[in-house]
This record gives sequence, structure tokens and C-alpha cells, in this order.
Amino acid sequence: MSWQILSQLGISGLSIGSIYALVGLALVLPYKASGAVNFAQGEIVTFGAYMGLVLTGLGLPYLAAVPLVLLIAAAAGALIERFLIRPIMAGPEFTLVITTFAIGIVIKALIRLHWQDNTFTLDAPFIAPPFKLGALRLNPAYLVFVASMTGISAGLSLFLAYTKFGKAMRATALDPIAARLMGIKPARVLSSAWGLAAALGALVGLLLGPVIGVNPEMGHLILKGLVAAVIGGFSSLGGAVAGGILLGLLETYAGAFWGATFKNLVPFAVLILILLARPEGLAGPASARRV
Amino acid sequence: MVLLETEGLSINFGGVAALADVSISVQPGEIHGVIGPNGAGKTSFINAVTGFVKADQGCIRFDGADVTGLAASSLSAGGLGRTFQHAELFGECTLLENVLTGFYRHQRYGLLAAVAGFGKAARIERQTRKQAAGLLAQFGLADLAQHRASDLPFGLQKRADMARALAAKPRLLLLDEPVAGMSEGEADETAASIKQLARELDITLVVVEHNMRILMSLATTVTVLAQGRVLARGRPDVIRANPEVIRTYLGEDA
Amino acid sequence: MRIVIPVIAFAAVSSVPLFATSYYLYLAELAMINVVVALGLNLLCGNGGLISLCNGSFMAAGAYGTALLTSEAGLSGLAALPAATLLTSLLGAILGYPARRLSGLYLALVTLGFLELVQIAIEEYPDITGGIRGLKVARPAILGLSLQSETALYLLVAALTAFAIFAAWNIQKSRFGRALDALRQSPFAARSLGIPVARMKPFAFALNAAFAGCAGGLFAMVTGFIDPTEFGVLESLKHITFIVVGGLGSVAGSVLGAALFTALPEFLRGTNEYSELVYGLILLGTLLFFPRGLAGLWERLPALPLQRAASKEPVHGAS
Repeated sequence: MSWQILSQLGISGLSIGSIYALVGLALVLPYKASGAVNFAQGEIVTFGAYMGLVLTGLGLPYLAAVPLVLLIAAAAGALIERFLIRPIMAGPEFTLVITTFAIGIVIKALIRLHWQDNTFTLDAPFIAPPFKLGALRLNPAYLVFVASMTGISAGLSLFLAYTKFGKAMRATALDPIAARLMGIKPARVLSSAWGLAAALGALVGLLLGPVIGVNPEMGHLILKGLVAAVIGGFSSLGGAVAGGILLGLLETYAGAFWGATFKNLVPFAVLILILLARPEGLAGPASARRV
Repeated sequence: MVLLETEGLSINFGGVAALADVSISVQPGEIHGVIGPNGAGKTSFINAVTGFVKADQGCIRFDGADVTGLAASSLSAGGLGRTFQHAELFGECTLLENVLTGFYRHQRYGLLAAVAGFGKAARIERQTRKQAAGLLAQFGLADLAQHRASDLPFGLQKRADMARALAAKPRLLLLDEPVAGMSEGEADETAASIKQLARELDITLVVVEHNMRILMSLATTVTVLAQGRVLARGRPDVIRANPEVIRTYLGEDA
Repeated sequence: MRIVIPVIAFAAVSSVPLFATSYYLYLAELAMINVVVALGLNLLCGNGGLISLCNGSFMAAGAYGTALLTSEAGLSGLAALPAATLLTSLLGAILGYPARRLSGLYLALVTLGFLELVQIAIEEYPDITGGIRGLKVARPAILGLSLQSETALYLLVAALTAFAIFAAWNIQKSRFGRALDALRQSPFAARSLGIPVARMKPFAFALNAAFAGCAGGLFAMVTGFIDPTEFGVLESLKHITFIVVGGLGSVAGSVLGAALFTALPEFLRGTNEYSELVYGLILLGTLLFFPRGLAGLWERLPALPLQRAASKEPVHGAS
């Protein structure tokens, strides 16, 4: 195996890993805020892609459509949180988990009702032939994926660390009661977290759609995002990013060395292994002393 | 012959010592009171002894056997039971069902018998039902047997918790703040029930409380905890007169 | 009274072949199979409070198991079905055991991972499983009688379903049912009473898998064909819909929910595309507004006079 091939694979892995990282982020954000995993996140990715389709179909250029879609998705996410999630947050975890699944089913069904199972093309400026950089062939889409992931991760960290609202989010995640006492409105934080996560998901749809085609099955991606989040212990945003990249690399190398079957096995094998051996993830703190 | 003893029990939570070098000795038949102000380590003590939290140092011996580090369900099987400060009843179940659940280990029938429904399982269930009703009656809860546990006021829930814990037929029962959250009248009633219990059953009690008055009326021996350490131990009247104990409790109800 | 109602119900159900067409017979069989699935899932999720997203896999295991034991191992239908059920039950325990210290979300994720692994395994060994194109199943013989007779097959399904209802009801009433309820409501209290919480999880999964496996075997016999895509996440969610809408923790709820959702797609025949949407909306609506399902609504029906008589109202002075 030459360095060239290894690096080529590495770039592939890194770029698809960036996508997984973004989905992972979108899953961990609402979890940190409300303790709920949004199993409809995959369908939000699909939703974002189709929204992009609609807006570009109306004549808007891709780059103009993107912020609009993000806004729509953010609003949708906040609404879902406010009216579908918050009322049942106090109930059993079972209800919460299944509710998000149900939301996903409804979103996907609505999409399929209108567009059936066809695959559509979404035009984007980064769909261009690969170019050469030294000995490597780089796909511009890959670069956009990696750049988006880096930019968003950096932006998110800065936001959470330095802005007032970001700090409010962290405070609420750590101790909702204390946060309330400090005057932070938990409702706002919750809605924003879900809105932000939905926007992230929609962005993934907008990035991925042009590359793999827009179709209702895009939501399957959520499984990869879940694995990424689990690798990061589900409580660490940085962990989710690292997990996503790690997963992308593992998958790509496994596929190259051992074939398609192994490539498909990797995410689930990793998922089960981590959950059984070290549920707190590779980044999380060591297990509590529970007997 | 000591029934329960701990030696040098220590638990640290991120640098804070919840328990430090706690050695306690409980004789069979005693009502051993463990008292201390809030934050003294009483909860950590119960959790450690009943297998809910692993101690960092020290050992626990029950009936001569080393049980350090054993899980809660194993300890319970060995005859060590507990109640909970917040009752921890099975809220959606009735009181009767709660107490019936306590008999789990003593109902010796397997899955196949359960599936069949008639025969051995049915017989055992009938017997246990009677025993459960009896336990509820002992705590004055007979009329409420069909009530949903979460519908009941806190004081009654605590009593039901005791009935349920007794269903498991423990040899030693740790009571976690049995009168916390009760009015004075209720607390006295509960204390009376506990005393009666100790008289009628072949059981040893460890009562962890911070209500000094109630505890002193109940206990035959007292250990005082403060800031995770054993401050004093001995007979109630001696403890009561102990100046250090009084000082620790300044401001608390005495 | 306790005995009379089930007997009448069974007699009614058994008489269906006398007047129903082949199609309605098939529908009834599917409904009963779904009842068996729902009963097992309800024990795990409704009573035990555990989240399982892989029920489809257990059903698949039962289906493939029965099919392969009859065709490859030459077992008669009478032996293949229980054997497949037992093997599936074992599979459930195998899943439950390593996951015994997990709960809630993490458990759900493990079951999800397990389901995907099973799907991959099915597709990876097409020589055995027929791969993605599915597996044809020949009608097995039971007690020498070939089940070519529609009626015989129907009665078999009905009998097993009746037994499943009987078993689930008894398990729920027994100390095992109470232990599962304890596990769900307060694992702390359960442990303090000596209930082996860690062991209960594989037990609950094994129980659930047994029901699902049996249902799967019957499904293979009834439809004559196993399509692996029918045992994925969506199917598993549909199973969950049976018990959520029917009523978590309720045997009657399992029966109601399963029957309802088997009939539903038939009523939505002309509007096939809408069926997914309707499923999703019913599930969502139930979770948000009627979390206790149909069985829960039924419990609240008894009007005020009855309520005062039965002392179910909260005691005064509730804190």
C-alpha cells in the first residue's frame, strides 16, 4: 500500500467523517440540553436537502438558498421542541425516544407523499471535477465537507465559551435549577439548542444532497451520527466530532482493505463494542462507582 | 456475636470525604441509632452498607462474613434490608402489589409454574397475598391496599416502604430517615410502630435519623456521625449528655 | 366469568374459517401473529420499561429458524416451531446479557446496533437465508397432517395465540411480572428487595424474543415467504406502535393494538402512500395525548359512581 493510496483514503475518510461529525453534533446538542436524543435527526437531514431542492427549484441560487433553509430548519426544530418534546420531557424515557422516532416517520412520510422515492439532483457550486494537489486527487466537495465541519466546530466552541447565550446553554446543561436562579430562561435555551441542531442537520442535507442525490433514504445517516456521538460519550461535543472523524476513517480503511461487508459492519460493531465496554465513550470520564 | 460491623469505612467523592474511617458495630436484637446533622455522612453510610455504593476503603462484615463490595441484591438475599428516605415505592402499583414484590425471593416457583398459572404458583401467590395483607395491616394501611402508591401522602408511603422491606424477611433492616418529612404526631406514631416491630419480630434495626428526639426514644445504642466521622457512641442517655454532641447539634432540634 | 369470556372469544375466533374467505382468514392470522408479537414486546417494554428497537430481528430469527429447521434439518413443523422459538429466546438472552448494565438510551442504541448487524448477517449469507431476495417457505406438516388445509393452519395460529395470551397474563400476575414492574419503576428499591436487576434484563429479552420468535415462525408458515426487509427498524417501530396505542403493560392493550393495526392498512388500501403517515401520526398523537393508550382510556371510563365505590381516589391530605 503506497502512501499515496493511504493518504487518498485518508482524505476520503476525513471528509465523510466530517459529515458524520456534523450529524453527531446535531445529536449531542439537544441531548445535552434536554436529555433527549432526537431520532428524527436523520429525517431533518433529508428535510434540509429537499428544502434546498424546493428553493433552488424556485430559481434561487444554491448559496442564497442555504441560509434560508437553515433558518426554516431552525424554526422547525424550535417548534418541535416546544410543542412535541417539552410536554413529554417529564415522562418515561421510553415515550421520549419513541416520540422522536414517530416525528421522523411523519416527516419522511410527508416527503415521500410529495416526491415519492425518486432521486433528485441538487446543484451546488462545489460540484466540480476533482483537481490535483501534488500526487493526490481532491474532490472539491470533500474539501467543503471538511471545511464546514472545522468551521462549525470552531464556531460552536467559541459561541459556547464566549458568548452570553452560549454560556447560558452550558449552564443549563450542567444545572438547570441553578441556571434558572441566575435568570436564564431554560425554555429559550432548550428551543435554541434544538433549533441549532436542526439547522446543523439541514446543513448536512444541503452538503450531502448534491453529492449523493436527494432521496428519502438520506436519513439513514443518523446511524453513523449516533455512533459518532457514542464514541464521544454522548456528552461531549468535541467527542462527537472526533468520533465522527474516527468513524469515517475506520470505515474507509476497512472498506479498502477488507471489502464492502466489513465497511458496513464497522459502525455497528464499533457501536456495540463501545456501549458494552465503555459506555461513557472514549472521551468521557471514568465510570461512577455504582455497584 | 456481632451481626453487622464496619471497619474503617471511607468514601471519597472528588476530594470530599463523605465517610472517613467509620467503624460501627451492631449487635443482634439491637435498635442501633445512627444520628448526625445533615451532611454527616448518614446517607453514604447506608448506601455503602447496603451495597449501593462501593466504599474506597474499609470493610463490611455481616454475620461474620465479609460482604465488602457485594451488590445490593446479593446483600438483600443474605438478609440485609433497607428502606429509603424518599420511600421509593413503585408508584404505579398498589400498596398491596408493592408489598407483594417484597416477597419476590421467598416465592419459590419458576417461570414454567408461573406460565401455567394454576397449581404451585397459584398456591404460593395466595399464601403471599395473605401475608402481604397482614403486613399492611400491621402498619395501619389495610384500607389503602388497593390504592396507587403515588396517590398517597408521603408519611403513609414511608410506612408502606417499611412494610415492603419487611416482606423480604430481613435479619437486619436499615431504616433511612424513617420520620423525615413527617409531622410530630406522625413521627411519634411511626416511632411506636418501629418499636413494636422490634419487639414482635426477630429482627435487628439500624435507624439512621437526624431527628434527635425520635431517635433517642427508639434506640438502645447510638452512634453519632459528624462530617463523615464517628463522633461518639454509646447509650442514648450518655450520648445525650455528651458536650461535643450537644455542640454539634446546636441549632438543630434536640 | 373469568373463564367464560375467553372461552366464548376462542370459540368465536375458531369459527371464523367456517364462513370467512381465504383473504380474511389470512388477515385474521396476521392479526393473531401480531398479537403474539405485541404480548412479548409489552412484557419487555411495558412492564420492564426497557427500550427495544430490534424486535423485528427476533421475529426474523423465528421465521428463518422455523423455515430452515424444516427444510434443512428435516424437522417436522411440530418440532421446528418450538425449537426455533427456543433458539430465538436464547438469542434474546445473548443480547440482553452483555447489555444488562445499560438502560434507557444506551440500551436502545445497542438494540439498534444489534438489529443492523442481523440485517447485515442476513444479506451476507444468501446461501442460507436467501439474502435480500428472500426465502421461500414450504408449509410444514404438523402431526402428519399437512397444513395445506387453510383451516388447520388457522386453528394452529389461533391455538398458539390463545396460549400466548394465557402465558402473558399469568407471567404478568406472577412474581416475574412484579419484578419487571419493579425494574421499571425503581431499580433501587428492586435491588434492596433482592431482585436481581442485572439478571432481569436478559430474562426480559429472552421472554420477549420467545414470543417474537414464535410469531415469526408462524408468520413464515402463513405467508410462505420471508422478506428480510420486513424485519427492520420500521417493523420494530410498528410493533412498538401496537403496544403504545394499545396500552403499555396491558395484555388487553396488546391484543387491541395489534388487531387494530393489522386491520388499519387494509382500510387504507386505496391510499397506500398515506399508511406510513397515518402510522406516524397515530403513534405521535397517542404518545402526546394518550400515553396510556387504549387500555388507559378504558381504565378511566368507569363513571363517578363506580369510582367512589372503588377506593381509587387519592387520600385526602396528599402531599
